[in-house]
Amino acid sequence: MLLLRLSLRNLLRQKRRNILLGSAMAIGVAILVVANSFSHGISDIMFNKIMRYVTGHVAIRFNERGGVMREIFRDRARALEAVKGEPDIEETSEAIAMFARAIGNGRSDNIILVGADTKKPVSREGLRELEESFRLVEGSWDDVNGEKAENPVVISAEKAQYLNVKMNDVLRVRFRNMFGQDQAARLTIVGIMKNDNIFMQPVVFLELGRTKELLGFRPYETPSLSLKIKDPQKNAAALADRIHDRLKPGTAAIYASAAGRAGRRPVTLIGFKSDDGSRKKLSELLKLSSGSFEKAFRKEGVILPVPLARALGVSAGDKFTVRYDRKFERTPREARLEVSAVCGAGAYPGQDVVLLYDSGFYDLYYDDLPAGPGPGAKPYTAEGPWGALAAPEWVLLKRTYNTDEYKLKYQEIARNKWKGTTIDVSTMYETASDILKLESVLNIITLSAVLVLFFIILLGVVNTLRMTIRERTREIGTVRAIGMQRNDVHAMFLLETFFLTLFSSIAGVLTGFAAMKLVSLITFHPQDNPLGMLLVNGHLYFLPTFFGIAGSVLLIIAIAAVTAWFPARRAANMPPAQALGHFT
Amino acid sequence: MNIIEIKGLKKDYPLGDTIVPALRGVDLDVAEGDFMSIIGPSGSGKTTLLNVIGCIDSATAGAVRVGERDITALTDRQITEIRLNKIGFIFQTFNLIPVLDVIENIEFPLLLMKSSAAEARGRADKLIEEVGLREYAAHRPAELSGGQRQRVAIARALVTNPDIVLADEPTANLDSVTGASILELMRRMNELEKTTFIFSTHDANVLKYARRIVKIKDGLIEKEPAPA
Repeated sequence: MLLLRLSLRNLLRQKRRNILLGSAMAIGVAILVVANSFSHGISDIMFNKIMRYVTGHVAIRFNERGGVMREIFRDRARALEAVKGEPDIEETSEAIAMFARAIGNGRSDNIILVGADTKKPVSREGLRELEESFRLVEGSWDDVNGEKAENPVVISAEKAQYLNVKMNDVLRVRFRNMFGQDQAARLTIVGIMKNDNIFMQPVVFLELGRTKELLGFRPYETPSLSLKIKDPQKNAAALADRIHDRLKPGTAAIYASAAGRAGRRPVTLIGFKSDDGSRKKLSELLKLSSGSFEKAFRKEGVILPVPLARALGVSAGDKFTVRYDRKFERTPREARLEVSAVCGAGAYPGQDVVLLYDSGFYDLYYDDLPAGPGPGAKPYTAEGPWGALAAPEWVLLKRTYNTDEYKLKYQEIARNKWKGTTIDVSTMYETASDILKLESVLNIITLSAVLVLFFIILLGVVNTLRMTIRERTREIGTVRAIGMQRNDVHAMFLLETFFLTLFSSIAGVLTGFAAMKLVSLITFHPQDNPLGMLLVNGHLYFLPTFFGIAGSVLLIIAIAAVTAWFPARRAANMPPAQALGHFT
Repeated sequence: MNIIEIKGLKKDYPLGDTIVPALRGVDLDVAEGDFMSIIGPSGSGKTTLLNVIGCIDSATAGAVRVGERDITALTDRQITEIRLNKIGFIFQTFNLIPVLDVIENIEFPLLLMKSSAAEARGRADKLIEEVGLREYAAHRPAELSGGQRQRVAIARALVTNPDIVLADEPTANLDSVTGASILELMRRMNELEKTTFIFSTHDANVLKYARRIVKIKDGLIEKEPAPA
């Protein structure tokens, strides 16, 4: 307490000197706070105002047969099951978007048609966020759900201006649907929005159900899923890992009834993997009775075990019919298959199993998902060597944790020919961890610049302290003569530096906040400004964080304490008689 | 009973390449409760002798016992504790702490001793009363006259009830009337608190206050003139 009192009062002795030094420190801290808030603001814009709407905090992406444009999963309920019961999830959305060519009044341009789930109830917080991000200047979001206009959409003011369209005008669009077919549609403008940033300017919002319909989705199918979660930076990776675990695929199987010349038998259709290694392994495992593997290893290839072939009354080259119940449709599906090979039953995966080349198998399987094995029956699971050879329900891609790993994964996906649907579970931090890196790099650059400033300031601290010690040498001698221990003298000078730095830092933080407030009052026009992507509603965006500010303050206090340590120790070690005899 | 015993005390100061002897073999015993003056011309070694007795300077050779302890064999921490607990200092230039007011200056050594704030304030109040500065309690040293500052210094030196009070030329910066009043005060305190006072001076007018006078010249004690 005594030391605190002495230190604080001593600080006030050299007001002008300390105010000048403190002001320099305050400027340094203010620069750090502004720079840190700015770089964190960039990350926030990228993640929470762009990526959050583009991919969600966590995304589950489905690509049928690895097709980048074919983002479809045939069993929506099953996909939703994987995210059910997760307390961290605030919102699950079906994310769908497609590039289209829009023709307006005399002008055309590319747009991104985005499905918006406008029918879902939105929380007050969600509504506020939406209004902040997509501010309607004309029309209403409710009209997007209306039935009067054909495909009602909300378009950005910038895009509407470019296409020369206004409220209630019709836009014609050309696009390619999920299955690669060229389509055209008419969209009616029922809302015009002002965007937070330039990335959102090409976006045109259409109600999700209508978007899915245009793209060829059936009601029980889903595009990729996008999850909004609580505290994403903390929870996203763990949640993605849990969802990934839940999405481990089983063996894809069609439970059917096969009819041949000799009769009808229940069968299980299984796909076999068609890569070179799997084909070699399969030909080693199976003992060919009739037909040829050469034929079996084609898209239409079908292999039967000898007992089943006999029971159906078919041999290589014969055709037979399979019929199976569909999971989401009432009527069964039928298909004609031609036997390519008949094999001995020894190593065969099952007496009633029909093996189909995976490519052909998935055509049947995905086009009309089969119903389950029936009440009480267990789903078919390939075992032993067949576990690796049988086609899975889908291909679950491995989890990645940063952008580099993520890029490598997608390069690998592009190299492979995928027969099944790939499922990728990722967080926005790994799809765009470069943004976090950018934030760190900006912080390091700022810190380096500010450290130079601090170095100059700290020379000031050292000089001030040396001057103070010189001026107060007799005083040091007096307190030592009276009975103050060396450690206390040391602590007294350190405390003086600490308080000077602390008060300067607080002033610096307040100055930083004032500067941010002033700068954010300036309005920029995103289109004309290279800073466009960094703007929110035409203003520079700063996001100060407690840890960022506390870090800056602690850094300067630590540096000042280290700098003050040695002069303070010199003062403490001065012999009292020598100090008392000092003349300033 | 002797509170200070000095045998063969030598103190040298290096001055460039040469060694300057300040004390050249001092033998001195001081009895408990004494009111003793060390006199001598400038540069005779008075301050050095006081500094060594007060544990703020070390001896080059010889033995110095303060109370029961040989101070030549102690660590800095132990010596600092002796200064705090056993010795009070009164300096020629007062040496008050400018950022503390009068009462805070007086209680300062008690707070160093970790006395409670209330206890320290109570003792300081008593001393400020005794030195007649009650109405100046909240004043800073810069707002006081030289005599008033020296009274504060005396109160500060006495606040811990030290065994010994050392005063190095306590009246040198004061006019003769104020100087006399300060010496009166010291003497009164010596009688009141039974504290041993040792003060240095080269002012012959001051000698009449001393019960014992020790004369020092060229670093040696010459003889003890009879008290006035």
